[in-house]
Amino acid sequence: MSIFAIETNSLTKVFGDVRAVDGIDLRVGQGEIYGFLGLNGAGKTTTIRALLGMIRPSAGDVRVLGQAVGPYGRGPWARVGHLVETPSSYPELTVRENLEIARRLYGIADPDATSRIIEHLSLVPYADRQAGTLSLGNSQRLGLARALLHEPELLILDEPANGLDPAGVVEIRKLLESLAREKGTTIFMSSHILTEVDRLATRIGIIHRGRLIEELDTVQLEQLRAKRLEVQARHLEAAQMSLTSAGYEFELKDSTIVLDDPHAIEHSDDIARLLVNAGTPPTRLAVEQEDLENHFLRLTTAD
Amino acid sequence: MKYFLPALWSETLKATRSKVPLLAAIGFTLAPLMDGLFMFIMKNPERAREMGLLSTKAQLAMSIADWTTFFSVLSQAIAIGGVIVFSIVTAWVFGREFSDRTAKDLMALPTSRKNIVAAKMIVVTAWVLAVSLWTYLVGLVIGYLVNIPGWTTQLAWQSFWDVLATAGMTLLLMTPVAFIASMGRGYMPPLGWAVLSIFFSQIIAAIGWGDWFPWSVPALFSGVVGPRAEQLGTHSYVLVFFASIIGLVATFWWWLNADQTK
Repeated sequence: MSIFAIETNSLTKVFGDVRAVDGIDLRVGQGEIYGFLGLNGAGKTTTIRALLGMIRPSAGDVRVLGQAVGPYGRGPWARVGHLVETPSSYPELTVRENLEIARRLYGIADPDATSRIIEHLSLVPYADRQAGTLSLGNSQRLGLARALLHEPELLILDEPANGLDPAGVVEIRKLLESLAREKGTTIFMSSHILTEVDRLATRIGIIHRGRLIEELDTVQLEQLRAKRLEVQARHLEAAQMSLTSAGYEFELKDSTIVLDDPHAIEHSDDIARLLVNAGTPPTRLAVEQEDLENHFLRLTTAD
Repeated sequence: MKYFLPALWSETLKATRSKVPLLAAIGFTLAPLMDGLFMFIMKNPERAREMGLLSTKAQLAMSIADWTTFFSVLSQAIAIGGVIVFSIVTAWVFGREFSDRTAKDLMALPTSRKNIVAAKMIVVTAWVLAVSLWTYLVGLVIGYLVNIPGWTTQLAWQSFWDVLATAGMTLLLMTPVAFIASMGRGYMPPLGWAVLSIFFSQIIAAIGWGDWFPWSVPALFSGVVGPRAEQLGTHSYVLVFFASIIGLVATFWWWLNADQTK
Protein backbone atom coordinates (compact mmCIF):
# COMPACT_ATOMS: atom_id res chain seq x y z
CA MET A 1 0.00 0.00 0.00
CA SER A 2 1.43 3.32 -1.07
CA ILE A 3 1.86 5.96 1.57
CA PHE A 4 0.79 8.52 -1.00
CA ALA A 5 -2.80 9.34 -1.86
CA ILE A 6 -1.57 10.72 -5.19
CA GLU A 7 1.65 9.80 -6.91
CA THR A 8 2.73 10.75 -10.42
CA ASN A 9 6.01 9.91 -12.06
CA SER A 10 7.19 12.12 -14.92
CA LEU A 11 3.57 12.76 -15.87
CA THR A 12 3.52 14.29 -19.34
CA LYS A 13 0.68 15.15 -21.67
CA VAL A 14 1.23 16.48 -25.16
CA PHE A 15 -1.56 17.88 -27.33
CA GLY A 16 -0.12 18.32 -30.83
CA ASP A 17 2.79 20.73 -30.42
CA VAL A 18 1.78 21.79 -26.90
CA ARG A 19 3.29 20.14 -23.83
CA ALA A 20 0.36 20.84 -21.50
CA VAL A 21 1.97 18.88 -18.66
CA ASP A 22 5.70 18.31 -18.71
CA GLY A 23 7.26 15.67 -16.46
CA ILE A 24 5.38 16.33 -13.23
CA ASP A 25 6.31 14.31 -10.13
CA LEU A 26 3.61 14.76 -7.51
CA ARG A 27 3.54 13.13 -4.09
CA VAL A 28 0.51 13.93 -1.99
CA GLY A 29 0.47 12.20 1.38
CA GLN A 30 -2.61 10.77 3.09
CA GLY A 31 -4.53 13.47 4.97
CA GLU A 32 -2.77 16.37 3.29
CA ILE A 33 -4.54 19.40 1.86
CA TYR A 34 -2.56 20.11 -1.26
CA GLY A 35 -3.09 23.44 -3.03
CA PHE A 36 -2.29 23.28 -6.73
CA LEU A 37 -1.66 26.72 -8.17
CA GLY A 38 -1.04 27.98 -11.66
CA LEU A 39 -2.03 30.63 -14.14
CA ASN A 40 -4.72 29.91 -16.75
CA GLY A 41 -3.35 27.35 -19.20
CA ALA A 42 -0.52 26.32 -16.84
CA GLY A 43 -1.66 22.67 -16.92
CA LYS A 44 -3.74 22.41 -13.73
CA THR A 45 -6.88 20.97 -15.28
CA THR A 46 -4.93 18.65 -17.59
CA THR A 47 -3.10 17.28 -14.54
CA ILE A 48 -6.39 16.84 -12.68
CA ARG A 49 -7.95 15.06 -15.65
CA ALA A 50 -4.92 12.76 -15.84
CA LEU A 51 -5.25 11.99 -12.10
CA LEU A 52 -8.85 10.97 -12.76
CA GLY A 53 -8.04 8.85 -15.82
CA MET A 54 -9.93 11.17 -18.14
CA ILE A 55 -6.91 11.65 -20.37
CA ARG A 56 -4.11 9.25 -21.12
CA PRO A 57 -0.64 10.47 -20.22
CA SER A 58 1.73 10.77 -23.19
CA ALA A 59 4.44 9.58 -20.80
CA GLY A 60 4.75 8.76 -17.11
CA ASP A 61 2.20 7.19 -14.83
CA VAL A 62 -0.38 8.04 -12.20
CA ARG A 63 -1.25 6.17 -9.01
CA VAL A 64 -4.20 7.17 -6.87
CA LEU A 65 -4.72 5.63 -3.42
CA GLY A 66 -2.07 3.10 -4.31
CA GLN A 67 -3.79 1.94 -7.49
CA ALA A 68 -2.63 2.57 -11.05
CA VAL A 69 -5.04 4.77 -13.01
CA GLY A 70 -6.27 3.61 -16.44
CA PRO A 71 -6.49 2.31 -19.07
CA TYR A 72 -10.23 1.90 -19.75
CA GLY A 73 -11.12 4.26 -16.90
CA ARG A 74 -9.75 1.90 -14.24
CA GLY A 75 -9.14 3.41 -10.81
CA PRO A 76 -10.25 3.37 -7.17
CA TRP A 77 -13.16 5.68 -7.98
CA ALA A 78 -15.47 4.47 -5.21
CA ARG A 79 -12.98 6.12 -2.80
CA VAL A 80 -12.39 9.32 -4.79
CA GLY A 81 -14.64 12.36 -5.10
CA HIS A 82 -14.03 14.89 -7.83
CA LEU A 83 -15.15 18.23 -9.19
CA VAL A 84 -13.57 19.14 -12.51
CA GLU A 85 -13.75 22.68 -13.93
CA THR A 86 -17.19 24.27 -13.98
CA PRO A 87 -19.89 22.28 -12.20
CA SER A 88 -22.44 20.72 -14.49
CA SER A 89 -25.64 18.79 -14.02
CA TYR A 90 -28.66 17.59 -15.95
CA PRO A 91 -30.64 20.82 -16.21
CA GLU A 92 -34.12 19.28 -16.52
CA LEU A 93 -33.62 17.11 -13.42
CA THR A 94 -33.99 18.42 -9.89
CA VAL A 95 -31.07 18.79 -7.49
CA ARG A 96 -32.29 15.67 -5.67
CA GLU A 97 -32.58 13.66 -8.90
CA ASN A 98 -29.09 14.70 -10.00
CA LEU A 99 -27.71 13.51 -6.66
CA GLU A 100 -29.82 10.37 -6.78
CA ILE A 101 -28.17 9.49 -10.10
CA ALA A 102 -24.76 10.06 -8.49
CA ARG A 103 -25.73 7.97 -5.45
CA ARG A 104 -26.64 5.00 -7.61
CA LEU A 105 -23.65 5.34 -9.92
CA TYR A 106 -21.36 5.38 -6.86
CA GLY A 107 -23.09 2.24 -5.63
CA ILE A 108 -24.25 3.76 -2.32
CA ALA A 109 -26.93 1.49 -0.89
CA ASP A 110 -28.24 3.92 1.73
CA PRO A 111 -31.06 5.98 0.13
CA ASP A 112 -30.79 8.61 2.89
CA ALA A 113 -27.31 9.57 1.70
CA THR A 114 -28.87 11.98 -0.82
CA SER A 115 -30.92 13.84 1.80
CA ARG A 116 -27.94 14.00 4.15
CA ILE A 117 -25.65 15.62 1.61
CA ILE A 118 -28.39 18.05 0.54
CA GLU A 119 -28.63 19.18 4.14
CA HIS A 120 -24.87 19.23 4.63
CA LEU A 121 -24.32 21.51 1.63
CA SER A 122 -27.25 23.80 2.54
CA LEU A 123 -29.18 22.80 -0.58
CA VAL A 124 -32.47 22.01 1.19
CA PRO A 125 -34.36 25.05 -0.26
CA TYR A 126 -33.30 24.01 -3.77
CA ALA A 127 -33.68 20.22 -3.48
CA ASP A 128 -36.74 20.02 -5.70
CA ARG A 129 -35.73 22.77 -8.07
CA GLN A 130 -34.49 21.97 -11.58
CA ALA A 131 -30.71 22.13 -11.63
CA GLY A 132 -30.80 24.31 -14.76
CA THR A 133 -32.35 27.14 -12.74
CA LEU A 134 -29.62 27.25 -10.05
CA SER A 135 -27.23 30.16 -9.62
CA LEU A 136 -23.53 29.52 -10.28
CA GLY A 137 -22.89 29.35 -6.54
CA ASN A 138 -25.60 26.76 -5.95
CA SER A 139 -24.49 24.79 -9.01
CA GLN A 140 -21.06 24.71 -7.38
CA ARG A 141 -22.63 23.42 -4.17
CA LEU A 142 -24.38 20.72 -6.18
CA GLY A 143 -21.05 19.76 -7.76
CA LEU A 144 -19.43 19.60 -4.32
CA ALA A 145 -22.37 17.58 -2.98
CA ARG A 146 -21.80 15.06 -5.77
CA ALA A 147 -18.09 14.92 -4.95
CA LEU A 148 -18.73 14.38 -1.20
CA LEU A 149 -21.79 12.10 -1.45
CA HIS A 150 -19.88 8.83 -0.98
CA GLU A 151 -17.60 10.19 1.79
CA PRO A 152 -14.44 9.68 -0.25
CA GLU A 153 -10.94 9.23 1.15
CA LEU A 154 -9.55 11.54 -1.52
CA LEU A 155 -11.11 14.68 -2.94
CA ILE A 156 -9.81 16.11 -6.20
CA LEU A 157 -11.31 19.56 -6.64
CA ASP A 158 -10.77 21.99 -9.46
CA GLU A 159 -11.62 25.50 -8.26
CA PRO A 160 -14.00 24.44 -5.45
CA ALA A 161 -14.77 28.03 -4.45
CA ASN A 162 -15.65 29.11 -7.99
CA GLY A 163 -18.84 31.21 -8.09
CA LEU A 164 -19.43 31.15 -4.34
CA ASP A 165 -20.14 34.34 -2.44
CA PRO A 166 -17.75 35.30 0.41
CA ALA A 167 -19.89 33.51 3.01
CA GLY A 168 -19.99 30.43 0.78
CA VAL A 169 -16.20 30.52 0.36
CA VAL A 170 -15.75 30.51 4.14
CA GLU A 171 -18.37 27.76 4.54
CA ILE A 172 -16.64 25.49 2.01
CA ARG A 173 -13.24 26.20 3.56
CA LYS A 174 -14.56 25.14 6.97
CA LEU A 175 -16.19 22.08 5.46
CA LEU A 176 -12.96 20.98 3.77
CA GLU A 177 -10.95 21.72 6.91
CA SER A 178 -13.28 19.59 9.01
CA LEU A 179 -13.15 16.74 6.47
CA ALA A 180 -9.37 16.75 6.60
CA ARG A 181 -9.21 17.10 10.38
CA GLU A 182 -12.02 14.78 11.48
CA LYS A 183 -12.08 12.16 8.75
CA GLY A 184 -8.51 12.35 7.49
CA THR A 185 -9.71 13.07 3.95
CA THR A 186 -6.91 13.95 1.56
CA ILE A 187 -7.73 17.02 -0.49
CA PHE A 188 -6.04 17.98 -3.74
CA MET A 189 -7.41 21.30 -4.92
CA SER A 190 -6.61 23.90 -7.52
CA SER A 191 -7.76 27.43 -6.94
CA HIS A 192 -7.39 30.96 -8.17
CA ILE A 193 -8.32 32.32 -4.74
CA LEU A 194 -4.81 32.32 -3.31
CA THR A 195 -5.81 33.61 0.10
CA GLU A 196 -8.10 30.58 0.48
CA VAL A 197 -5.36 28.18 -0.57
CA ASP A 198 -2.98 29.94 1.80
CA ARG A 199 -5.38 29.49 4.71
CA LEU A 200 -6.35 25.91 3.92
CA ALA A 201 -3.43 24.09 2.34
CA THR A 202 -0.81 22.17 4.25
CA ARG A 203 1.31 22.02 1.11
CA ILE A 204 1.34 23.95 -2.11
CA GLY A 205 2.58 23.12 -5.59
CA ILE A 206 3.01 25.77 -8.25
CA ILE A 207 2.69 24.69 -11.87
CA HIS A 208 3.89 26.96 -14.64
CA ARG A 209 3.93 26.12 -18.35
CA GLY A 210 3.29 22.49 -17.56
CA ARG A 211 6.11 22.14 -15.05
CA LEU A 212 5.92 21.90 -11.28
CA ILE A 213 8.26 24.77 -10.49
CA GLU A 214 7.98 24.86 -6.70
CA GLU A 215 6.52 23.02 -3.74
CA LEU A 216 6.11 24.61 -0.32
CA ASP A 217 5.49 22.58 2.80
CA THR A 218 3.96 23.82 6.06
CA VAL A 219 7.25 25.22 7.42
CA GLN A 220 8.05 27.04 4.21
CA LEU A 221 4.51 28.41 4.07
CA GLU A 222 4.88 29.69 7.63
CA GLN A 223 8.17 31.33 6.71
CA LEU A 224 6.50 32.92 3.75
CA ARG A 225 3.78 34.33 5.95
CA ALA A 226 6.28 35.53 8.64
CA LYS A 227 6.75 39.27 9.13
CA ARG A 228 10.18 40.87 8.99
CA LEU A 229 11.62 44.31 9.56
CA GLU A 230 13.62 45.69 6.65
CA VAL A 231 16.10 48.48 7.29
CA GLN A 232 18.15 50.50 4.84
CA ALA A 233 20.68 53.18 5.79
CA ARG A 234 23.35 55.28 4.07
CA HIS A 235 26.04 53.87 6.35
CA LEU A 236 25.15 50.23 6.26
CA GLU A 237 28.18 48.98 8.22
CA ALA A 238 27.63 51.47 11.06
CA ALA A 239 23.96 50.48 11.22
CA GLN A 240 24.88 46.78 11.41
CA MET A 241 27.40 47.47 14.18
CA SER A 242 24.90 49.38 16.28
CA LEU A 243 22.27 46.64 15.87
CA THR A 244 24.81 43.94 16.77
CA SER A 245 25.95 45.83 19.84
CA ALA A 246 22.29 46.19 20.89
CA GLY A 247 21.95 42.40 20.67
CA TYR A 248 19.83 42.08 17.54
CA GLU A 249 20.38 39.29 15.02
CA PHE A 250 19.84 40.06 11.37
CA GLU A 251 20.61 39.08 7.80
CA LEU A 252 21.88 41.27 5.02
CA LYS A 253 20.00 40.85 1.75
CA ASP A 254 20.73 43.10 -1.22
CA SER A 255 21.86 46.09 0.85
CA THR A 256 18.92 45.63 3.19
CA ILE A 257 19.18 44.60 6.82
CA VAL A 258 16.45 42.05 7.57
CA LEU A 259 15.41 41.42 11.17
CA ASP A 260 13.17 38.48 12.19
CA ASP A 261 13.30 39.39 15.90
CA PRO A 262 9.66 39.72 17.14
CA HIS A 263 10.65 42.58 19.48
CA ALA A 264 12.22 44.51 16.60
CA ILE A 265 9.14 43.96 14.43
CA GLU A 266 6.72 45.00 17.18
CA HIS A 267 8.82 48.00 18.28
CA SER A 268 10.33 49.30 15.07
CA ASP A 269 10.40 52.78 16.67
CA ASP A 270 13.08 51.44 19.08
CA ILE A 271 15.18 50.40 16.09
CA ALA A 272 14.73 53.81 14.49
CA ARG A 273 15.79 55.53 17.75
CA LEU A 274 18.80 53.21 18.10
CA LEU A 275 20.03 53.99 14.58
CA VAL A 276 19.47 57.73 14.94
CA ASN A 277 21.41 57.77 18.22
CA ALA A 278 24.22 55.84 16.52
CA GLY A 279 24.45 58.58 13.91
CA THR A 280 23.19 56.39 11.06
CA PRO A 281 19.50 57.19 10.67
CA PRO A 282 17.50 54.76 8.51
CA THR A 283 16.53 55.80 4.99
CA ARG A 284 13.89 53.09 4.96
CA LEU A 285 12.28 51.17 7.81
CA ALA A 286 9.40 48.86 6.96
CA VAL A 287 7.60 45.81 8.34
CA GLU A 288 7.14 43.47 5.37
CA GLN A 289 5.23 40.22 4.90
CA GLU A 290 5.32 38.35 1.62
CA ASP A 291 2.03 36.61 1.10
CA LEU A 292 1.41 33.66 -1.16
CA GLU A 293 -0.04 35.92 -3.83
CA ASN A 294 3.14 38.00 -4.11
CA HIS A 295 5.25 34.88 -4.05
CA PHE A 296 3.13 33.20 -6.73
CA LEU A 297 3.12 36.25 -8.99
CA ARG A 298 6.85 36.72 -8.59
CA LEU A 299 7.43 33.11 -9.66
CA THR A 300 4.99 32.94 -12.53
CA THR A 301 5.32 36.38 -14.07
CA ALA A 302 9.08 36.74 -13.75
CA ASP A 303 9.52 36.02 -17.45
CA MET B 1 -24.99 -6.20 -12.94
CA LYS B 2 -24.28 -4.42 -9.66
CA TYR B 3 -23.47 -1.24 -11.53
CA PHE B 4 -25.36 -1.86 -14.78
CA LEU B 5 -28.84 -1.47 -13.30
CA PRO B 6 -28.02 1.90 -11.69
CA ALA B 7 -26.68 3.07 -15.05
CA LEU B 8 -29.86 1.90 -16.79
CA TRP B 9 -31.98 3.57 -14.10
CA SER B 10 -30.08 6.84 -14.60
CA GLU B 11 -30.37 6.78 -18.38
CA THR B 12 -34.07 5.97 -18.17
CA LEU B 13 -34.67 8.87 -15.76
CA LYS B 14 -32.83 11.27 -18.08
CA ALA B 15 -34.79 10.05 -21.12
CA THR B 16 -38.18 10.19 -19.42
CA ARG B 17 -37.63 13.62 -17.88
CA SER B 18 -36.44 15.33 -21.05
CA LYS B 19 -38.76 16.70 -23.72
CA VAL B 20 -36.53 15.58 -26.61
CA PRO B 21 -37.52 11.87 -26.75
CA LEU B 22 -41.16 12.78 -26.14
CA LEU B 23 -41.27 15.41 -28.90
CA ALA B 24 -39.46 13.05 -31.26
CA ALA B 25 -42.07 10.36 -30.51
CA ILE B 26 -44.91 12.82 -31.14
CA GLY B 27 -43.24 13.91 -34.38
CA PHE B 28 -43.00 10.31 -35.51
CA THR B 29 -46.73 9.83 -34.91
CA LEU B 30 -47.28 12.22 -37.82
CA ALA B 31 -46.32 9.36 -40.21
CA PRO B 32 -49.49 7.27 -39.71
CA LEU B 33 -51.55 10.48 -39.51
CA MET B 34 -50.32 11.63 -42.93
CA ASP B 35 -50.68 8.11 -44.28
CA GLY B 36 -54.28 8.05 -43.06
CA LEU B 37 -54.91 11.49 -44.55
CA PHE B 38 -53.75 10.32 -47.99
CA MET B 39 -56.00 7.28 -47.71
CA PHE B 40 -58.93 9.49 -46.75
CA ILE B 41 -58.29 11.79 -49.72
CA MET B 42 -58.14 8.89 -52.18
CA LYS B 43 -61.23 7.31 -50.79
CA ASN B 44 -63.10 10.58 -51.18
CA PRO B 45 -62.31 11.98 -54.66
CA GLU B 46 -64.77 14.83 -54.30
CA ARG B 47 -63.00 16.11 -51.23
CA ALA B 48 -59.69 15.41 -52.95
CA ARG B 49 -60.56 17.71 -55.83
CA GLU B 50 -61.55 20.41 -53.42
CA MET B 51 -58.11 20.10 -51.79
CA GLY B 52 -56.27 20.67 -55.11
CA LEU B 53 -52.48 20.18 -54.99
CA LEU B 54 -52.40 17.86 -52.01
CA SER B 55 -54.77 15.56 -53.82
CA THR B 56 -52.54 15.48 -56.91
CA LYS B 57 -49.51 14.56 -54.81
CA ALA B 58 -51.44 11.90 -52.96
CA GLN B 59 -52.52 10.37 -56.25
CA LEU B 60 -48.90 10.34 -57.40
CA ALA B 61 -47.67 8.63 -54.29
CA MET B 62 -50.14 5.79 -54.33
CA SER B 63 -52.87 4.65 -56.61
CA ILE B 64 -55.04 2.37 -54.50
CA ALA B 65 -56.50 3.19 -51.10
CA ASP B 66 -56.24 -0.16 -49.32
CA TRP B 67 -54.51 -1.66 -46.29
CA THR B 68 -51.64 -3.05 -48.39
CA THR B 69 -50.77 0.41 -49.66
CA PHE B 70 -51.37 1.95 -46.24
CA PHE B 71 -48.94 -0.44 -44.50
CA SER B 72 -46.39 -0.11 -47.29
CA VAL B 73 -46.35 3.69 -46.99
CA LEU B 74 -46.14 3.40 -43.19
CA SER B 75 -43.13 1.13 -43.45
CA GLN B 76 -41.43 3.50 -45.92
CA ALA B 77 -42.12 6.44 -43.61
CA ILE B 78 -40.47 4.56 -40.76
CA ALA B 79 -37.45 3.73 -42.96
CA ILE B 80 -36.84 7.31 -44.10
CA GLY B 81 -38.33 9.32 -41.21
CA GLY B 82 -36.73 6.88 -38.78
CA VAL B 83 -33.23 7.84 -39.86
CA ILE B 84 -33.93 11.44 -38.84
CA VAL B 85 -36.05 10.83 -35.72
CA PHE B 86 -34.01 7.91 -34.37
CA SER B 87 -30.83 9.92 -35.03
CA ILE B 88 -32.23 12.87 -33.05
CA VAL B 89 -32.85 10.62 -30.05
CA THR B 90 -29.48 8.82 -30.36
CA ALA B 91 -27.67 12.15 -30.79
CA TRP B 92 -29.46 13.45 -27.71
CA VAL B 93 -28.75 10.40 -25.52
CA PHE B 94 -25.02 10.45 -26.31
CA GLY B 95 -24.36 14.05 -27.34
CA ARG B 96 -26.12 15.69 -24.39
CA GLU B 97 -23.39 14.55 -22.02
CA PHE B 98 -21.00 16.79 -23.92
CA SER B 99 -23.39 19.68 -24.60
CA ASP B 100 -24.36 19.75 -20.90
CA ARG B 101 -20.71 19.08 -19.95
CA THR B 102 -21.76 16.15 -17.77
CA ALA B 103 -19.54 13.58 -19.55
CA LYS B 104 -16.65 14.38 -17.21
CA ASP B 105 -18.79 13.28 -14.26
CA LEU B 106 -19.30 9.85 -15.85
CA MET B 107 -15.63 9.05 -16.39
CA ALA B 108 -14.26 8.37 -12.90
CA LEU B 109 -17.01 6.34 -11.23
CA PRO B 110 -17.29 2.83 -9.79
CA THR B 111 -19.92 2.34 -12.52
CA SER B 112 -17.72 1.61 -15.52
CA ARG B 113 -17.94 3.55 -18.75
CA LYS B 114 -18.88 0.26 -20.47
CA ASN B 115 -22.01 0.04 -18.33
CA ILE B 116 -22.93 3.64 -19.08
CA VAL B 117 -22.57 3.18 -22.86
CA ALA B 118 -24.48 -0.12 -22.72
CA ALA B 119 -27.28 1.54 -20.72
CA LYS B 120 -27.48 4.35 -23.28
CA MET B 121 -27.67 1.83 -26.14
CA ILE B 122 -30.47 -0.03 -24.37
CA VAL B 123 -32.45 3.16 -23.76
CA VAL B 124 -32.17 4.09 -27.46
CA THR B 125 -33.23 0.55 -28.46
CA ALA B 126 -36.19 0.56 -26.08
CA TRP B 127 -37.28 3.99 -27.29
CA VAL B 128 -37.04 3.03 -30.99
CA LEU B 129 -38.96 -0.21 -30.49
CA ALA B 130 -41.63 1.47 -28.32
CA VAL B 131 -42.11 4.35 -30.77
CA SER B 132 -42.23 1.97 -33.76
CA LEU B 133 -44.84 -0.16 -32.00
CA TRP B 134 -46.78 2.96 -31.03
CA THR B 135 -46.64 4.24 -34.61
CA TYR B 136 -47.94 0.93 -35.90
CA LEU B 137 -50.79 0.91 -33.36
CA VAL B 138 -51.72 4.51 -34.22
CA GLY B 139 -51.68 3.39 -37.87
CA LEU B 140 -54.13 0.61 -37.09
CA VAL B 141 -56.51 2.99 -35.30
CA ILE B 142 -56.30 5.58 -38.08
CA GLY B 143 -56.78 2.95 -40.78
CA TYR B 144 -59.82 1.70 -38.90
CA LEU B 145 -61.25 5.24 -38.55
CA VAL B 146 -60.68 6.02 -42.24
CA ASN B 147 -62.29 2.66 -42.99
CA ILE B 148 -59.69 1.48 -45.51
CA PRO B 149 -60.71 -1.59 -47.50
CA GLY B 150 -58.76 -4.83 -47.87
CA TRP B 151 -58.07 -5.76 -44.21
CA THR B 152 -56.84 -9.25 -43.40
CA THR B 153 -55.28 -10.38 -40.13
CA GLN B 154 -52.46 -12.05 -42.06
CA LEU B 155 -51.65 -8.75 -43.82
CA ALA B 156 -51.70 -6.92 -40.47
CA TRP B 157 -49.21 -9.39 -38.95
CA GLN B 158 -47.00 -9.35 -42.05
CA SER B 159 -46.98 -5.55 -41.95
CA PHE B 160 -46.25 -5.57 -38.24
CA TRP B 161 -43.09 -7.62 -38.78
CA ASP B 162 -42.15 -5.46 -41.79
CA VAL B 163 -42.45 -2.30 -39.70
CA LEU B 164 -40.48 -3.90 -36.88
CA ALA B 165 -37.75 -5.19 -39.22
CA THR B 166 -37.48 -1.79 -40.94
CA ALA B 167 -37.25 -0.04 -37.57
CA GLY B 168 -34.79 -2.68 -36.36
CA MET B 169 -32.45 -2.20 -39.32
CA THR B 170 -32.64 1.58 -38.96
CA LEU B 171 -31.88 1.10 -35.27
CA LEU B 172 -28.82 -1.00 -36.09
CA LEU B 173 -27.52 1.93 -38.11
CA MET B 174 -27.75 4.20 -35.06
CA THR B 175 -24.48 2.93 -33.58
CA PRO B 176 -22.40 5.10 -35.95
CA VAL B 177 -24.65 8.02 -34.92
CA ALA B 178 -23.80 7.29 -31.26
CA PHE B 179 -20.12 7.23 -32.13
CA ILE B 180 -20.27 10.52 -34.04
CA ALA B 181 -22.25 12.18 -31.21
CA SER B 182 -19.55 11.06 -28.75
CA MET B 183 -16.57 11.90 -30.91
CA GLY B 184 -18.14 15.14 -32.15
CA ARG B 185 -19.10 15.97 -28.53
CA GLY B 186 -22.59 17.26 -29.22
CA TYR B 187 -25.73 17.15 -31.34
CA MET B 188 -24.78 18.76 -34.63
CA PRO B 189 -22.23 16.27 -36.04
CA PRO B 190 -24.57 13.25 -35.69
CA LEU B 191 -27.51 15.16 -37.19
CA GLY B 192 -25.29 16.22 -40.09
CA TRP B 193 -24.36 12.58 -40.49
CA ALA B 194 -28.07 11.59 -40.54
CA VAL B 195 -28.83 14.08 -43.33
CA LEU B 196 -25.80 12.93 -45.33
CA SER B 197 -26.69 9.26 -44.90
CA ILE B 198 -30.20 9.91 -46.26
CA PHE B 199 -28.76 11.89 -49.17
CA PHE B 200 -26.26 9.19 -50.12
CA SER B 201 -28.70 6.35 -49.54
CA GLN B 202 -31.06 7.94 -52.10
CA ILE B 203 -28.33 8.61 -54.66
CA ILE B 204 -26.74 5.18 -54.32
CA ALA B 205 -30.11 3.40 -54.42
CA ALA B 206 -31.03 5.43 -57.51
CA ILE B 207 -27.93 4.29 -59.39
CA GLY B 208 -28.67 0.68 -58.50
CA TRP B 209 -26.06 -0.06 -55.82
CA GLY B 210 -28.33 0.36 -52.83
CA ASP B 211 -28.06 -3.31 -51.86
CA TRP B 212 -24.35 -2.73 -51.16
CA PHE B 213 -24.85 0.44 -49.13
CA PRO B 214 -26.12 -0.28 -45.58
CA TRP B 215 -27.89 3.07 -45.23
CA SER B 216 -30.03 2.34 -48.33
CA VAL B 217 -31.12 -1.07 -47.08
CA PRO B 218 -33.95 -0.17 -44.63
CA ALA B 219 -35.71 1.99 -47.24
CA LEU B 220 -35.28 -0.67 -49.94
CA PHE B 221 -36.53 -3.28 -47.46
CA SER B 222 -39.65 -1.18 -46.85
CA GLY B 223 -40.43 -1.40 -50.58
CA VAL B 224 -39.84 2.22 -51.46
CA VAL B 225 -38.78 1.33 -55.04
CA GLY B 226 -40.50 -2.03 -55.45
CA PRO B 227 -40.53 -5.56 -54.00
CA ARG B 228 -37.58 -6.05 -51.63
CA ALA B 229 -36.61 -9.45 -53.07
CA GLU B 230 -35.61 -7.74 -56.30
CA GLN B 231 -33.64 -5.05 -54.49
CA LEU B 232 -31.79 -6.79 -51.67
CA GLY B 233 -29.75 -9.92 -51.07
CA THR B 234 -28.29 -11.61 -47.99
CA HIS B 235 -25.16 -9.48 -48.41
CA SER B 236 -27.31 -6.35 -47.85
CA TYR B 237 -28.40 -7.50 -44.39
CA VAL B 238 -24.89 -8.66 -43.54
CA LEU B 239 -23.56 -5.21 -44.44
CA VAL B 240 -26.14 -3.52 -42.17
CA PHE B 241 -25.03 -5.82 -39.38
CA PHE B 242 -21.35 -5.05 -39.97
CA ALA B 243 -21.94 -1.30 -40.10
CA SER B 244 -23.72 -1.62 -36.77
CA ILE B 245 -20.94 -3.65 -35.18
CA ILE B 246 -18.33 -1.15 -36.38
CA GLY B 247 -20.36 1.72 -34.88
CA LEU B 248 -20.85 -0.21 -31.64
CA VAL B 249 -17.17 -1.09 -31.21
CA ALA B 250 -16.12 2.45 -32.13
CA THR B 251 -18.50 3.95 -29.56
CA PHE B 252 -17.29 1.70 -26.75
CA TRP B 253 -13.66 2.20 -27.78
CA TRP B 254 -14.08 5.96 -27.78
CA TRP B 255 -15.69 6.12 -24.32
CA LEU B 256 -13.05 3.81 -22.87
CA ASN B 257 -9.96 5.26 -24.51
CA ALA B 258 -10.30 8.73 -25.95
CA ASP B 259 -9.05 11.76 -24.04
CA GLN B 260 -11.96 13.48 -22.36
CA THR B 261 -11.16 17.14 -22.48
CA LYS B 262 -14.70 18.57 -22.38
